[in-house]
Amino acid sequence: MAVKFFGQFLVEKGMVSREDLLAALDLQEQKNLKFGEMAMKMGYVTLADIQHAHRSQFSQDMKLGDLLLAAGLLSADQLQEIITRQKETHLYIGEALVQVGSLTGEQLQRHLIEFNLDQAPYVSERVELPAGIANGKTWEMTVDLTYKMITRVLGLPFRTEKCRIVGTIGTNFMMAALDLSGDVEARYILSVSAGVQKMVARAILREESVEHESAEILEDTVMEFINVVCGNVAAKASQTGEVIDINPPVTIRPEVEGLPVPAGHTALCFPIHVGEGEKMELLLLIRG
Amino acid sequence: MKTVLVVDDSLAMARLLEKIINDSGEFTCVGIARDGAEAIKMNHSEKPDIICMDMNMPGMDGLTALRSLVLLDKKVKVVMVTSLGGVGDKFKEALKLGARNVISKPFEADGVLRILREL
Repeated sequence: MAVKFFGQFLVEKGMVSREDLLAALDLQEQKNLKFGEMAMKMGYVTLADIQHAHRSQFSQDMKLGDLLLAAGLLSADQLQEIITRQKETHLYIGEALVQVGSLTGEQLQRHLIEFNLDQAPYVSERVELPAGIANGKTWEMTVDLTYKMITRVLGLPFRTEKCRIVGTIGTNFMMAALDLSGDVEARYILSVSAGVQKMVARAILREESVEHESAEILEDTVMEFINVVCGNVAAKASQTGEVIDINPPVTIRPEVEGLPVPAGHTALCFPIHVGEGEKMELLLLIRG
Repeated sequence: MKTVLVVDDSLAMARLLEKIINDSGEFTCVGIARDGAEAIKMNHSEKPDIICMDMNMPGMDGLTALRSLVLLDKKVKVVMVTSLGGVGDKFKEALKLGARNVISKPFEADGVLRILREL
């Protein structure tokens, strides 16, 4: 029901053992060269070049290839050649499992079809963002996955509205927030009215009625929902090599006048209509 | 009946897991710990057959607790329950540290019980 990678799917379903997967992952580690290793193997750079690039650009958060390019130690064509070679020689986990003797080629093909069917609900669809937003693809995927989880986890019918950039985060009954870090830096916020909070609670607790539940439990269900969404965002991002770390979620109880957007941040607001008189918004507070 | 300790900072998620475990008729939940440190204490006092533990928790997180639990008892059966299961590196780290399996959130009761039965 979640975003998964193939190896995890196989172990969860009992199709391969934990031990076989670990052996296949080790084999992948040995065979799949990192960027610097491949660049050295192809004879484009030396270990000293890599160390020099790191030293000269230590204050910048850049990938090694970009560091070497910026330092003039690698040409753009060479950079592309190395990336292409990495892709061409990449040992995928399925093939690694065949090589360690855990699966036959035929079993691999069958399980890949099953895996693709399992993951089909999470194939990304286009979400329109305002022009000029950094890491746009990541945020499009984040919003798309939020919509998909509202359907799959909360079971709520809803209608979306076009995204807008806001100067103040409007108030609501409660907000659950989670900080994303790594290759991107942003705060993910889900703002809900009291009615929406109960809809979320009924779905997360799998209870018909939540009228007797404490405020803590009700708030907790919204936090857990965004934790699930953001964990799956991190999983989806990792499929394209992007690293996103998630922090434990927190609750925000905003003042009547709302929350100002901190300097140096852009706030994207995605209104989500789930019923008459109810308010639900996804907000992305993006740094930079 | 096999006993299970649930470890999750989210009360809502802990309650849901407790319900799935107790309704199964095959397992019984012997307690809920709210972070890794409490899990280590409760593992000592309750001696559960299985520990179902969240990964992303304030205080002592799940992977740190897993490392300590395995260090104290190599035979401990820990299943990580996490929304980060689909992140390959996290999954691999959990297995390498000694987790028996990883359950991704969101989950279905059937999937949770199938994994618990295999332990």
